[in-house]
Amino acid sequence: MKVETSMKQSRGIVILIGVVVAQLATGCATPPPPPAPPPPKLVSYAVLLDNLDGSVGAITFSSPKGLIAVDRSKNAVNLDGATAPYTQDDSIIQKDFGAAIAVRPQPPAIFLLYFESGGAQLTAESQALIAKMVADAAKRPAADVSVVGHTDTEGDAEANEKLGLQRAQTVAQLISGAGLKAIETTVTSHGERDLLVKTPDNTAEPKNRRVEVTIR
Amino acid sequence: MRLPIQMTRVALMAAIAFSGAAWGQDAIGFVKTVSGDATVTDGGKAIKAVAGTPIRLKSVLKTGAKGAMGVTFKDNSVMSFGPDTEVTVDEYLYAPAKGDLKFGASMSKGALNVVSGAIAKLKPEAVSLKTPTGTIGIRGTNFAVKIEPQ
Repeated sequence: MKVETSMKQSRGIVILIGVVVAQLATGCATPPPPPAPPPPKLVSYAVLLDNLDGSVGAITFSSPKGLIAVDRSKNAVNLDGATAPYTQDDSIIQKDFGAAIAVRPQPPAIFLLYFESGGAQLTAESQALIAKMVADAAKRPAADVSVVGHTDTEGDAEANEKLGLQRAQTVAQLISGAGLKAIETTVTSHGERDLLVKTPDNTAEPKNRRVEVTIR
Repeated sequence: MRLPIQMTRVALMAAIAFSGAAWGQDAIGFVKTVSGDATVTDGGKAIKAVAGTPIRLKSVLKTGAKGAMGVTFKDNSVMSFGPDTEVTVDEYLYAPAKGDLKFGASMSKGALNVVSGAIAKLKPEAVSLKTPTGTIGIRGTNFAVKIEPQ
């Protein structure tokens, strides 16, 4: 029994050596291909772009390594928090963000409508904006609309809350009556709390008697 | 006759209660554009995004490998997503007359373009975008973020 076992083991070792020799032989015949170049390093970053009006804002990146501020067009900051800001290539911005920028919804449009003193009667000029708002909403996918009423400071604040709402409701009815289609229209009043032109209390100011319509 | 009317009323109230629970709360924005696969997940339930899909607080917005999506929020912020991108709306308050303003989102991966809106204009420090390695602060601006898988 003992002899047989040792013979089996030695046969196993011989086969193993044979395999190793064969591998070495083929290795010599065809040299291994040169190692593939490492894949390009993937970097996470934020980049500042021109605002739609051509101006440039600013962003900051804060991490445990500190705060980095960026305020120039195409300036980028890596999200490792350890690299100085640098100018990003247009071609890389296009490659990384082209798909996102292509589906960017158009910026919302804001219309200001003004009222004759004391009531909910639109000025003639503002009346003419109704058709423009209907046309603007029709160009947008799934337009949603906010209608916010404002007053000047003439009269008491509580009455102005109601007047602002009444003005907003008037405009909401006008635009819907003119055929504006929206998936949602919210109608609210800011009364005299949100003045376009700052005035003391009890001051008539036509620019404050307004309804702000935002079409998104 | 009396009983059916009461039953209808109960059913109606139940329907209102149910829809209240299902919708959770008001929309804070809407999907405007979609190309390819994109979803909006509320309370763990994902729905396919189309133009008009509402975004709510805590919504998770996601695009597929070939997807892209554009969203406009109530404060006129605009976010557009490239492929394989995920963003969660953590905080959103937009009541300018009361001074309640907050916009906090987190992005885990992908490519995102942001054009900030009224919240960033009125209260820049109230706007932030969290990333896996740090937080982006916004000072009224158009910017883009790329996050590679870790």
